[in-house]
Amino acid sequence: MDRKTFFQFTAPSNLVMLALMVFPLAIAVWFGLHYMTFSNIQHPEFIGLDNFTEILGDPKFWQAFLWTLEIIAITVPAQLVIGFLVALLLDQVTGRLRSLFLAALLLPMVVVPVVGTIVFKQLFEPSGLVAWFYRTVFSQPFIFNELSMKVVILIHTTWLNTPFVLVIFFAGLQTLPPELTEAAAIDGAGRLQQIRHIVIPHLQTLAVLTGLISVMDTFRLFDNVFVLTRQNPIFNADTILTYNFRVAMAVQQLGRGNAVAILTVIAILIVLIPFLYYTYREQIEQA
Amino acid sequence: MQPIRHPVGRALVFLALVVFALYSVVPFIWTVLQSLKTDAQATALTPLIWFTPTLANYSRLWLNAVTPQTAPVLYGLLAVSAGLVLLGVFAGRLPLPVPVTGWGIVGVIAALLVAVPRLLAMAEFYDYFINSIIVSVAAVAVSLTLASLSGYALARYAGRASVVILLAALAFRALPRMGFLLPYYWMGQRSGLYDTHFLTIMALVAVNQPFSIWLLRGFFREVPRDLEEAAMIDGASRLTAFVRVIIPIMWPGIIAAGLFTLLLAYHEFLLVRILTQSNWTLSVAMAQFVGGFSVAGSISLQSAAAVSATLPIVIVVLIFQKHLVRGLAAGAVKG
Repeated sequence: MDRKTFFQFTAPSNLVMLALMVFPLAIAVWFGLHYMTFSNIQHPEFIGLDNFTEILGDPKFWQAFLWTLEIIAITVPAQLVIGFLVALLLDQVTGRLRSLFLAALLLPMVVVPVVGTIVFKQLFEPSGLVAWFYRTVFSQPFIFNELSMKVVILIHTTWLNTPFVLVIFFAGLQTLPPELTEAAAIDGAGRLQQIRHIVIPHLQTLAVLTGLISVMDTFRLFDNVFVLTRQNPIFNADTILTYNFRVAMAVQQLGRGNAVAILTVIAILIVLIPFLYYTYREQIEQA
Repeated sequence: MQPIRHPVGRALVFLALVVFALYSVVPFIWTVLQSLKTDAQATALTPLIWFTPTLANYSRLWLNAVTPQTAPVLYGLLAVSAGLVLLGVFAGRLPLPVPVTGWGIVGVIAALLVAVPRLLAMAEFYDYFINSIIVSVAAVAVSLTLASLSGYALARYAGRASVVILLAALAFRALPRMGFLLPYYWMGQRSGLYDTHFLTIMALVAVNQPFSIWLLRGFFREVPRDLEEAAMIDGASRLTAFVRVIIPIMWPGIIAAGLFTLLLAYHEFLLVRILTQSNWTLSVAMAQFVGGFSVAGSISLQSAAAVSATLPIVIVVLIFQKHLVRGLAAGAVKG
């Protein structure tokens, strides 16, 4: 394919990217340099980098940042491990049973996250199943405080994101040539050895990519934390994005909200560097 | 890997899968039960497992007025919908060509959606449901068209421009929505497109297409170049060769990409919330059922809304599920 044809084929998608990604980001940076509320949205006041310095000096921002990192550090490895194990298990059943299990296991990914969160939260309401179980076992009512809310957020995030990892790993297992493990079995390798020396190396690249996607997606966690906490400050459970939303919407500091968003963008781009480098190499080698 | 043969081993595998499946499904089963209870039953401190189910919550959610004719019409509609779902699941086994049954089903569904508000006095929830369908279907159609053209070009051209575009797409895939929200709001207000389906759809296409481009590029790289080159030697232009030769063998991959797009469009909360005033989708409408707002307080009504918003998308994914794994295995997950 020559250069001209390439640009013809990519033109429509490039236009959308320019108009709805590059241009809005430029506006976001410009907004970030202004003092801006809903009332002065037509004539915002230029204040330079004040928004940025104020955010970087706000302990609440660093608290949200750290908590987001904690969520990533706990849920992403959990997703990868559970996703891998369940994919291995699912690979063992065939036919109708496989479709049935797959459908059940994918459910958290398929439902609207807001719904998935409501559904999960209901278990912990006074009339819910988990709250009842908790009452019966510990003979005291289950209440949401900072600790229990954070634990529920961690469990729910894992629950919500594991199916994506699972389906990618499961599809990856389908591309593993059966001769490889058969030959290893004939040579006397046990199942664990096969997993360690054949299956895991086969899925390694995939695991790195999926892990990076999960890190990026968890970094911008919003829907479920928003619905679970209703932004109640007693939980101290703001992630970067709910903190951002609070600044932009609840406090109506639109300019400062954009400044938070820009800082998040920069942080994500830093996380992304290895991924970008990997893709760069791959695309160049294709030639 | 080869299957475990030992009966004890098989039983353990089965048991473990059942445990994980329950972990995924139990919250939903609980919500379905809650949605069939009265408010008093739903808030009982000892969970009720056995009770007389009621559909009152669903009619309160979907219907504005209940008349004597409501019940028979409702049961008729439910029967037709159930028939459609069965038809969708078993479409492959009918003696008709798949496109015929496929378009037939789409046609009947469209006719149903138009007919329903004329037969029954539907509540606002139905409007949100229709908005969700319009926005998701349009986002999938536009996004797949743009992304397959771009993904194909990226798979076939390795110049510097392709690297720039690919890296940009990856970066945009990763960025938080928050960075775009206010600019989008501002652009919407300035252009007068605020609260229109058009702007919502284009915004969804913009945030979704980077992932689709990336996924589809993976698929197209697995397609041998000889195929389209043969067609081009026979005189076809590259675009014709792409549409006539490459697309037909790429269906599993395109369906997989389409499913991910559909999920994203149907799920999106923040973007739609900020870009619309009244034209909400289900995802946004759901948030009003969460404590503290207008209709809140009723757990059973909230559950009925949750089940109603979930069921359509679950059915669609069930019908296309096997294409999802086959599609992903065909290209995207090649190490």
